[in-house]
Amino acid sequence: MSRRINCREAVEQLYEYLDRELTPATELAIRQHLAECPPCCDHFDFEQLFLEFLRARCRAQGAPPELKHKILRELFDE
Amino acid sequence: MTTPPTPPPPTPPAPSPAAEAEKRASFEREALVHLDSLYRVALRLTRNAAEADDLVQETMLKAYRAWDQFEKGTNAKGWLLTILRHAFINEYRRRTRHPETVDLDAIEPFSVFSELQDEDPQGTFFDRIVDDEVLRAIDGLPEQFRETVVLSDVEGLSYEEIARMLKVPVGTVKSRLFRARRLLQRQLYDYAVGMGYIKGSPR
Repeated sequence: MSRRINCREAVEQLYEYLDRELTPATELAIRQHLAECPPCCDHFDFEQLFLEFLRARCRAQGAPPELKHKILRELFDE
Repeated sequence: MTTPPTPPPPTPPAPSPAAEAEKRASFEREALVHLDSLYRVALRLTRNAAEADDLVQETMLKAYRAWDQFEKGTNAKGWLLTILRHAFINEYRRRTRHPETVDLDAIEPFSVFSELQDEDPQGTFFDRIVDDEVLRAIDGLPEQFRETVVLSDVEGLSYEEIARMLKVPVGTVKSRLFRARRLLQRQLYDYAVGMGYIKGSPR
Protein backbone atom coordinates (compact mmCIF):
# COMPACT_ATOMS: atom_id res chain seq x y z
CA MET A 1 0.00 0.00 0.00
CA SER A 2 1.55 3.26 -1.05
CA ARG A 3 1.53 6.55 0.75
CA ARG A 4 -1.52 8.77 0.22
CA ILE A 5 -0.91 12.25 -1.11
CA ASN A 6 -3.09 15.35 -1.16
CA CYS A 7 -4.03 17.71 -4.00
CA ARG A 8 -1.22 20.17 -3.34
CA GLU A 9 1.43 17.46 -3.41
CA ALA A 10 -0.04 15.99 -6.57
CA VAL A 11 -0.13 19.30 -8.43
CA GLU A 12 3.39 20.19 -7.31
CA GLN A 13 4.63 17.12 -9.14
CA LEU A 14 2.34 17.49 -12.11
CA TYR A 15 4.95 18.05 -14.78
CA GLU A 16 7.35 15.48 -13.38
CA TYR A 17 4.50 13.00 -13.48
CA LEU A 18 3.58 13.85 -17.07
CA ASP A 19 7.24 13.80 -18.09
CA ARG A 20 7.64 10.35 -16.53
CA GLU A 21 10.40 11.58 -14.25
CA LEU A 22 9.12 10.17 -10.93
CA THR A 23 9.93 6.94 -9.18
CA PRO A 24 7.39 4.15 -9.73
CA ALA A 25 6.21 4.49 -6.12
CA THR A 26 5.48 8.22 -6.39
CA GLU A 27 3.92 7.73 -9.78
CA LEU A 28 1.60 5.14 -8.32
CA ALA A 29 0.67 7.41 -5.40
CA ILE A 30 -0.27 10.16 -7.83
CA ARG A 31 -2.21 7.79 -10.05
CA GLN A 32 -4.21 6.68 -7.02
CA HIS A 33 -4.87 10.28 -6.04
CA LEU A 34 -6.07 11.11 -9.56
CA ALA A 35 -8.42 8.14 -9.54
CA GLU A 36 -10.13 9.56 -6.46
CA CYS A 37 -9.98 13.26 -7.25
CA PRO A 38 -11.85 14.48 -10.36
CA PRO A 39 -10.63 18.12 -10.11
CA CYS A 40 -6.98 17.05 -10.06
CA CYS A 41 -7.69 14.58 -12.80
CA ASP A 42 -9.10 17.39 -15.00
CA HIS A 43 -6.10 19.54 -14.23
CA PHE A 44 -3.64 16.79 -15.18
CA ASP A 45 -5.60 16.01 -18.36
CA PHE A 46 -5.52 19.66 -19.33
CA GLU A 47 -1.75 19.91 -18.90
CA GLN A 48 -1.19 16.64 -20.70
CA LEU A 49 -3.22 17.93 -23.59
CA PHE A 50 -1.21 21.12 -23.63
CA LEU A 51 2.09 19.23 -23.80
CA GLU A 52 0.83 16.99 -26.59
CA PHE A 53 -0.41 20.02 -28.46
CA LEU A 54 2.95 21.74 -28.09
CA ARG A 55 4.84 18.73 -29.34
CA ALA A 56 2.54 18.13 -32.29
CA ARG A 57 2.66 21.76 -33.40
CA CYS A 58 6.42 21.99 -33.21
CA ARG A 59 7.32 18.64 -34.68
CA ALA A 60 5.41 19.37 -37.86
CA GLN A 61 8.55 21.15 -38.98
CA GLY A 62 11.56 19.22 -40.31
CA ALA A 63 14.79 20.06 -42.08
CA PRO A 64 14.36 21.31 -45.66
CA PRO A 65 15.35 18.59 -48.18
CA GLU A 66 18.04 20.81 -49.74
CA LEU A 67 19.82 20.97 -46.40
CA LYS A 68 20.46 17.23 -46.39
CA HIS A 69 21.82 17.41 -49.93
CA LYS A 70 24.07 20.31 -49.02
CA ILE A 71 25.46 18.40 -46.05
CA LEU A 72 26.05 15.22 -48.05
CA ARG A 73 27.81 17.27 -50.70
CA GLU A 74 29.99 18.98 -48.15
CA LEU A 75 30.91 15.81 -46.28
CA PHE A 76 31.32 13.38 -49.14
CA ASP A 77 31.87 15.61 -52.19
CA GLU A 78 28.76 14.36 -53.89
CA MET B 1 82.17 5.70 -37.72
CA THR B 2 79.09 7.36 -39.16
CA THR B 3 75.83 7.48 -37.31
CA PRO B 4 73.11 5.69 -39.10
CA PRO B 5 70.51 8.02 -40.56
CA THR B 6 67.44 8.32 -38.39
CA PRO B 7 64.42 6.93 -40.08
CA PRO B 8 61.74 9.43 -41.00
CA PRO B 9 58.81 9.52 -38.55
CA PRO B 10 56.13 7.16 -39.67
CA THR B 11 53.29 8.84 -41.50
CA PRO B 12 49.87 7.81 -40.29
CA PRO B 13 48.42 5.36 -42.74
CA ALA B 14 45.72 6.82 -44.94
CA PRO B 15 42.35 5.32 -44.04
CA SER B 16 41.52 2.51 -46.36
CA PRO B 17 38.58 3.02 -48.68
CA ALA B 18 36.75 0.33 -46.77
CA ALA B 19 37.23 2.19 -43.47
CA GLU B 20 36.04 5.43 -45.06
CA ALA B 21 32.96 3.69 -46.44
CA GLU B 22 32.21 2.22 -43.04
CA LYS B 23 32.64 5.62 -41.37
CA ARG B 24 30.27 7.17 -43.82
CA ALA B 25 27.70 4.41 -43.45
CA SER B 26 27.70 4.62 -39.66
CA PHE B 27 27.49 8.42 -39.78
CA GLU B 28 24.48 8.28 -42.06
CA ARG B 29 22.87 5.60 -39.93
CA GLU B 30 23.44 7.15 -36.51
CA ALA B 31 23.90 10.89 -37.08
CA LEU B 32 22.14 12.02 -40.23
CA VAL B 33 18.89 10.45 -39.06
CA HIS B 34 18.71 13.22 -36.45
CA LEU B 35 18.77 16.00 -39.00
CA ASP B 36 15.16 17.05 -38.39
CA SER B 37 15.76 17.30 -34.64
CA LEU B 38 18.92 19.34 -35.12
CA TYR B 39 17.17 21.65 -37.52
CA ARG B 40 14.20 22.21 -35.23
CA VAL B 41 16.45 23.04 -32.29
CA ALA B 42 18.67 25.25 -34.46
CA LEU B 43 15.66 27.13 -35.73
CA ARG B 44 14.35 27.84 -32.26
CA LEU B 45 17.79 28.90 -31.02
CA THR B 46 18.62 31.20 -33.93
CA ARG B 47 15.02 32.14 -34.84
CA ASN B 48 16.21 32.51 -38.40
CA ALA B 49 16.01 29.92 -41.22
CA ALA B 50 19.27 30.84 -42.96
CA GLU B 51 21.22 30.81 -39.70
CA ALA B 52 19.62 27.53 -38.69
CA ASP B 53 20.78 26.04 -42.01
CA ASP B 54 24.35 27.21 -41.43
CA LEU B 55 24.35 26.07 -37.83
CA VAL B 56 23.19 22.57 -38.73
CA GLN B 57 25.72 22.28 -41.56
CA GLU B 58 28.50 23.34 -39.26
CA THR B 59 27.33 20.90 -36.60
CA MET B 60 27.33 18.00 -39.06
CA LEU B 61 30.78 18.94 -40.31
CA LYS B 62 32.20 19.06 -36.78
CA ALA B 63 30.42 15.85 -35.89
CA TYR B 64 31.84 14.03 -38.90
CA ARG B 65 35.37 15.17 -38.09
CA ALA B 66 34.95 13.96 -34.52
CA TRP B 67 33.04 10.83 -35.49
CA ASP B 68 35.90 8.46 -34.58
CA GLN B 69 35.70 9.71 -30.99
CA PHE B 70 31.98 9.13 -30.72
CA GLU B 71 31.18 5.89 -28.97
CA LYS B 72 28.99 4.16 -31.51
CA GLY B 73 25.65 2.92 -30.36
CA THR B 74 25.34 5.47 -27.53
CA ASN B 75 23.09 8.53 -27.62
CA ALA B 76 24.03 10.23 -30.89
CA LYS B 77 21.18 12.71 -30.69
CA GLY B 78 22.39 14.11 -27.35
CA TRP B 79 25.97 14.21 -28.62
CA LEU B 80 24.96 16.08 -31.78
CA LEU B 81 22.75 18.53 -29.91
CA THR B 82 25.65 19.30 -27.58
CA ILE B 83 27.89 20.12 -30.55
CA LEU B 84 25.13 22.26 -32.03
CA ARG B 85 24.62 24.15 -28.82
CA HIS B 86 28.35 24.88 -28.43
CA ALA B 87 28.54 26.12 -31.99
CA PHE B 88 25.52 28.31 -31.37
CA ILE B 89 26.94 29.82 -28.21
CA ASN B 90 30.40 30.39 -29.65
CA GLU B 91 29.48 31.77 -33.01
CA TYR B 92 25.89 32.85 -33.38
CA ARG B 93 24.81 34.21 -30.09
CA ARG B 94 27.72 36.57 -30.00
CA ARG B 95 26.72 38.15 -33.30
CA THR B 96 23.07 38.75 -32.55
CA ARG B 97 21.79 40.07 -29.29
CA HIS B 98 18.05 39.69 -29.24
CA PRO B 99 16.21 41.55 -26.54
CA GLU B 100 14.41 39.18 -24.19
CA THR B 101 10.75 39.88 -24.45
CA VAL B 102 9.08 38.28 -21.46
CA ASP B 103 8.38 39.73 -18.07
CA LEU B 104 9.69 37.09 -15.67
CA ASP B 105 7.76 38.41 -12.71
CA ALA B 106 4.49 37.66 -14.42
CA ILE B 107 5.06 33.91 -14.53
CA GLU B 108 4.18 31.98 -11.41
CA PRO B 109 0.67 32.81 -10.32
CA PHE B 110 -1.17 32.54 -13.59
CA SER B 111 -2.54 29.12 -14.40
CA VAL B 112 -4.53 28.83 -17.59
CA PHE B 113 -6.29 25.77 -16.28
CA SER B 114 -7.63 27.69 -13.28
CA GLU B 115 -8.82 30.45 -15.60
CA LEU B 116 -10.56 28.06 -17.92
CA GLN B 117 -11.84 25.26 -15.76
CA ASP B 118 -15.39 26.49 -16.14
CA GLU B 119 -15.30 27.71 -19.71
CA ASP B 120 -13.04 25.18 -21.45
CA PRO B 121 -11.65 22.59 -19.04
CA GLN B 122 -10.79 20.26 -21.95
CA GLY B 123 -8.61 22.90 -23.55
CA THR B 124 -10.40 22.63 -26.91
CA PHE B 125 -9.24 26.14 -27.75
CA PHE B 126 -5.74 24.75 -28.31
CA ASP B 127 -6.98 23.05 -31.46
CA ARG B 128 -7.73 26.40 -33.05
CA ILE B 129 -4.25 27.80 -32.53
CA VAL B 130 -2.08 27.44 -35.62
CA ASP B 131 1.54 26.23 -35.72
CA ASP B 132 2.98 29.66 -36.46
CA GLU B 133 1.42 31.14 -33.37
CA VAL B 134 2.91 28.42 -31.18
CA LEU B 135 6.35 28.86 -32.71
CA ARG B 136 6.08 32.60 -32.25
CA ALA B 137 5.23 32.09 -28.59
CA ILE B 138 8.27 29.83 -28.13
CA ASP B 139 10.51 32.29 -29.94
CA GLY B 140 9.34 34.98 -27.53
CA LEU B 141 10.68 33.07 -24.52
CA PRO B 142 13.98 34.04 -22.90
CA GLU B 143 16.75 31.90 -24.35
CA GLN B 144 17.29 29.63 -21.33
CA PHE B 145 13.60 28.78 -21.21
CA ARG B 146 13.38 28.41 -24.95
CA GLU B 147 16.15 25.86 -25.22
CA THR B 148 14.89 23.87 -22.24
CA VAL B 149 11.35 23.67 -23.56
CA VAL B 150 12.50 22.68 -27.04
CA LEU B 151 14.81 19.96 -25.76
CA SER B 152 12.11 18.57 -23.49
CA ASP B 153 8.77 19.12 -25.16
CA VAL B 154 9.78 18.96 -28.77
CA GLU B 155 12.73 16.57 -28.75
CA GLY B 156 11.73 14.47 -25.75
CA LEU B 157 15.02 14.54 -23.81
CA SER B 158 14.91 13.59 -20.13
CA TYR B 159 15.60 16.10 -17.34
CA GLU B 160 18.91 14.35 -16.74
CA GLU B 161 19.99 14.59 -20.38
CA ILE B 162 19.07 18.26 -20.53
CA ALA B 163 20.86 19.00 -17.26
CA ARG B 164 24.02 17.34 -18.56
CA MET B 165 23.83 19.19 -21.84
CA LEU B 166 23.23 22.62 -20.31
CA LYS B 167 25.53 21.91 -17.35
CA VAL B 168 22.90 22.91 -14.79
CA PRO B 169 21.32 20.94 -11.92
CA VAL B 170 18.22 18.86 -12.63
CA GLY B 171 16.26 21.17 -10.31
CA THR B 172 17.07 24.08 -12.62
CA VAL B 173 15.76 22.16 -15.61
CA LYS B 174 12.56 21.47 -13.68
CA SER B 175 11.98 25.07 -12.69
CA ARG B 176 12.81 26.39 -16.16
CA LEU B 177 10.38 23.94 -17.71
CA PHE B 178 7.66 24.91 -15.27
CA ARG B 179 8.10 28.60 -15.98
CA ALA B 180 8.50 28.16 -19.70
CA ARG B 181 5.33 26.11 -19.97
CA ARG B 182 3.37 28.56 -17.87
CA LEU B 183 4.63 31.43 -19.99
CA LEU B 184 3.67 29.66 -23.19
CA GLN B 185 0.21 28.86 -21.88
CA ARG B 186 -0.24 32.44 -20.88
CA GLN B 187 0.82 33.72 -24.31
CA LEU B 188 -1.45 31.29 -26.13
CA TYR B 189 -4.31 32.03 -23.78
CA ASP B 190 -3.95 35.77 -24.40
CA TYR B 191 -3.82 35.09 -28.11
CA ALA B 192 -6.94 32.91 -27.98
CA VAL B 193 -8.81 35.55 -25.99
CA GLY B 194 -7.69 38.20 -28.47
CA MET B 195 -8.93 36.10 -31.38
CA GLY B 196 -12.24 35.48 -29.63
CA TYR B 197 -11.73 31.69 -29.37
CA ILE B 198 -12.41 31.91 -25.66
CA LYS B 199 -13.90 34.59 -23.48
CA GLY B 200 -11.40 34.17 -20.67
CA SER B 201 -11.74 36.26 -17.56
CA PRO B 202 -10.91 39.95 -17.30
CA ARG B 203 -7.60 40.65 -15.65
